[in-house]
Amino acid sequence: MDKKFLYYLIKRVLLAIVTIFLVVTITFFTMQAIPGGPFLSEKSPSKETMAALEAKYGLDKSMGEQYLTYLKDVATLNFGPSIKFRGQQVMDLILEGFAVSAKIGLIAAVIALVFGMVFGSIAAVFHDKLVDRIIMVLSTAFVAMPSFLIATLLLLIFAVNLKWFPTNGSQAGGLVLPIISLALYPMSYTIRLTRSSMLDVLGQDYIRTAKAKGVRPSKVLFKHALKNAVTPVITYAGPMIAFILTGSLVVEEIFAVHGLGSFFVSSIINRDYPMVMGTTIFLAVIVIIMMLISDVLYKLVDPRVDLS
Amino acid sequence: MKKTLALVLAVLTVVALALTGCNAGGGTAAKTEMTISVGPYPDTIDPALNSAIDGGTYIIHAFSGLVGYTQSEDGKPVLTADCAAELPTAVVGEDGKATYTFTLKDGLKWSDGTDLTAEDFVYAWNRAIAPETAADYAYMFDVIDGYTEGKLNVTAKDAKTLEVVLSNDVPYFLELCAFPTYMPVKKDVVDGNETWATKADTYIGNGPYKVTEFSQSQLVFEKNEYYHNAASVKTDKIICAFNADDTSLYANFQNGSYQFIDSVPAAEIKSIEEKYPDEYKVSGQLGTYYVCFNVNDKALADFTEDERISIRKAISLLLDRQHIVENVSQGGEVAANTFVPMSLSDADGKTDFRANANGGAGYFNIDSASYDANCKEAVKLLEAVAKSSGKFTVKDGKVAGFPALTYITNENTNHEAIASYIQGVLAIYGIDLKIEVQEWNTFLNTRKDGEYSIARNGWIADFNDPISFLDMWLSESGNNDVQFGKGAHKDYKGYSYGGKDNLTWAESYDKLIAEIKACTDIEKRFELMHQAEDILMATGAICPIYYYTDNYMISKSLQGFFTTPLGFKYFMYATVA
Repeated sequence: MDKKFLYYLIKRVLLAIVTIFLVVTITFFTMQAIPGGPFLSEKSPSKETMAALEAKYGLDKSMGEQYLTYLKDVATLNFGPSIKFRGQQVMDLILEGFAVSAKIGLIAAVIALVFGMVFGSIAAVFHDKLVDRIIMVLSTAFVAMPSFLIATLLLLIFAVNLKWFPTNGSQAGGLVLPIISLALYPMSYTIRLTRSSMLDVLGQDYIRTAKAKGVRPSKVLFKHALKNAVTPVITYAGPMIAFILTGSLVVEEIFAVHGLGSFFVSSIINRDYPMVMGTTIFLAVIVIIMMLISDVLYKLVDPRVDLS
Repeated sequence: MKKTLALVLAVLTVVALALTGCNAGGGTAAKTEMTISVGPYPDTIDPALNSAIDGGTYIIHAFSGLVGYTQSEDGKPVLTADCAAELPTAVVGEDGKATYTFTLKDGLKWSDGTDLTAEDFVYAWNRAIAPETAADYAYMFDVIDGYTEGKLNVTAKDAKTLEVVLSNDVPYFLELCAFPTYMPVKKDVVDGNETWATKADTYIGNGPYKVTEFSQSQLVFEKNEYYHNAASVKTDKIICAFNADDTSLYANFQNGSYQFIDSVPAAEIKSIEEKYPDEYKVSGQLGTYYVCFNVNDKALADFTEDERISIRKAISLLLDRQHIVENVSQGGEVAANTFVPMSLSDADGKTDFRANANGGAGYFNIDSASYDANCKEAVKLLEAVAKSSGKFTVKDGKVAGFPALTYITNENTNHEAIASYIQGVLAIYGIDLKIEVQEWNTFLNTRKDGEYSIARNGWIADFNDPISFLDMWLSESGNNDVQFGKGAHKDYKGYSYGGKDNLTWAESYDKLIAEIKACTDIEKRFELMHQAEDILMATGAICPIYYYTDNYMISKSLQGFFTTPLGFKYFMYATVA
C-alpha cells in the first residue's frame, strides 16, 4: 500500500465521521420537529403513565440534553432500548434483522451485477438486433415496475397459483422469490448501464485496433471492452449494494421475510426515536463503506483515476 | 484424496438417511402442530406491558390466570375457573368494599417446574401498577382497593389463598381476572430483568403452552407438561408466524401455509366471502367506529353551542350508515346508533346495554327506510340554525355560505373511503368538507390536541362493561379528543346533573362518572351509565358509524378454536387434522 493511498484512506475515514455526525444531528432534530410521540395510540395511556414513560426514556429532559446524551450513546455504539419493542435493545433488533436482509441482499446484488453485465454486454454486441430489443424491452419494464407490483405478481403466480415456491420466507426455498424481486430492478439498471457504456467503448479506436490485429472477439469483449465499460457500473454498485443489504420494506412484508427493511419505516411511524437513529446511522455507515469500496475498485480498474 | 472424499460422502449419506428415518417413522405418535398468524412482530409479550390484541393472544397461551375461558356446547366462550379451584362470589362489607377470596388449585407449577403460589399474583398485579413499570394498562386494576395509593389491597393469606378487596363491587371483576394483564409472573425471572419477555428461555409462564422460540419471524409454543390442565391441550406445537401484510397473509392461507389468519385484504372481502364461505368468519367485537367533532372547532366559532349541537346532529343524520357498512367498509360491520356498542351487557348481565339506550330506541333511526326522514330532519335543523344565526342560508334543502369544514383521518383505504363518502353526502347539501389525510402519529397528535373540525375515531372495549366508553370523556382524560370541558368549552354551562341545570362539563359529566365509579348498587350503576350516554349523545359531538367486527379465516382442518368479543383467540383446546 503506497503512502498516497494511506493518506487517502485516513482522509476518507475522517470525512465519514463528519458525515455520520451530520446525519445524527439532522436526523435527531428532524425527528424532534415532526409532531406526535412514541406513546400515542388510539388509546392513549394515562397522564401518569405517560410521564413515567417519558422519564424512563429520558424524553422529559431538554432537547439539548437529549442530544448530548444521544451523541455519547452513538459514539459508544449503544443506541439504547427501543421504545416500541419494550425490553429490546435497538442494536440487537437491527443485527437480527440485518442478518436476514444481508443474506438475501447479497445474493440479489451478485445476481443483479453478474446477469446485468452479461446481458448488458450481449445487448451491446448484438446492438439493434432482436436479442438487444428483447433485453431492452424487459429491462425497461423491470426498471419501470415498482417493487410492490413485481413482488405481488411473483407471489400470486409462482407461490399461490403454480405453487412452485412457498408463500413465506420461513419455509424451505422461500427466499427464492424475494431474492428475484430484489434483484430485478438493479439487474435491469445494470443491463442498461453496461449496454450504453459498452456501446461507447466498442466504438473506440483501441477496440478497432485490437480487432484489426486479429485478437479473438471474446478476448476483445471481456478483456479490453468490458474492463473499461464497467466503471459506471462500479459507481452505481456501491450505494445499490448498501441499500439492497439493508432490506426492502415491500419485498420483506409481502414474502414475510423478517429483515431490517420494515424497521426503517415502522420506527418513524412509531416515533421510536432510538430505533430511528439506530437504523439511520446503520444505513449511513454501510453506504459510506460501500462508497469507499467502490472508489477503491474504481482506481484498480482505471489506474488513471487519482485518488488524492 | 478421491477415496477420502467418497468415504466422507458415504458416511454423510448414511447419517442423513438415519436422521431422516428417525423423523419420519419415529415409533411414537407423530406430533401435531399448526401454523397461525395473529399479527406482526409484537411490541411486547410481557403481561403487564402488553396492550395489544395479538400480544394478548400470545399471553393467554403462555399464562393462565385465576379465571379463563372455555367453550360451551353451543360454541360460546364461558368464564371458567383456571388457576382458581372455583369462581368465588364477592362478600360486600358494610363499607361497600367487596372481597373476593380465591383458592388456588393444588400443585400449580411454572413451566420450569417450580411451584406457583398466591404470592405470585400479588407480585404480578402490584408490578403492573408500579410507576417504574410504566404500563399502559395499569388502570385495568383501578377497581381494586389501594390502586390510587400504589399498593393494591391483594393479599396471599397462604400459598393457596388469595384475597382481593375491591373499593366497590363491579360485575365484571371475574372477567378482568381472565384478562392478559391479570396473569401471574414469576418474580425470579422478571425482577430487575427488562429483557425477560424477549427471550424464550427466560419467558417462564404457567399456561397451556411454553415458548420455545421467539425471534423476529415467529413465536413457537410447545405443550407445557406442567400446566394443571395439560390433558385437555390437544395440539403439541403452535407456530405463530409474524406477518404484517394482508396480501401475504391471504396468500399463505390460500396455499395452506397458515391455518389461521387474523386479517384479510379489505379490497378482496367480497371475493373471499364467495370463495371461502366456510373459512371466512365475522365475529362481533366490542367496539365502535365513529366520527367525532371538536367542540372548540374554530371553523364554527361564530355559532352558539346550541347552534353547533344542531349542526353536528344534522351532519350525523345525513349519513346513511347502512350504505356505509354494505357498500363502503364491507367487512360485515353493523350500523350503529349508539356510542356504547352492541354485545356489552346491561345490569342483568344478559340484555344488551344498547337495547335499553335512550329508552330502547337508540339515538336515531338507522334502517334504510328512515334515511329520507333523517335527511329531512337534518335540513330542518340546519334551517333553524340559519335563521337564528343569520350566518348562512338554506334554500331548497341546500345550504349556501356555510363555513368549510375539515375532516381528518389517517392513511388507510377504509378510513379514506368513509371520508370520501361523508364528503360526497355533505356536498349534496352544499356543505364543503375538505379531507386531510395525515400520517398515523401526526393524526393522533392533531386529534388529541383538538386541532381539527371533524375526525375519524374508534374505540374498543377492554372488558364487558360500558364504563370504558364513558370515562374516556372525562375532562382530564387522555382520550378526550372531542375536548369536552377544555378550552372554551370549559365555561359552557349547558349540562345537568343531580337535578341541577346550567352546569359545566366538569360539574355534570365528570361528577356523574365519579358517582358511577363509586356506586355499589348494580341496577343504579347501569341506570347512571345510560344517563351518561344520554348526555354524551345530546352534545352531537359523537357520531357513531358502525360497530366493529373481527374478520378472520380459519382452515377447516382446525377444530375447537374460539374467540371472545375482546378479540383474543383461543387455540389451546383446538385440534388440527
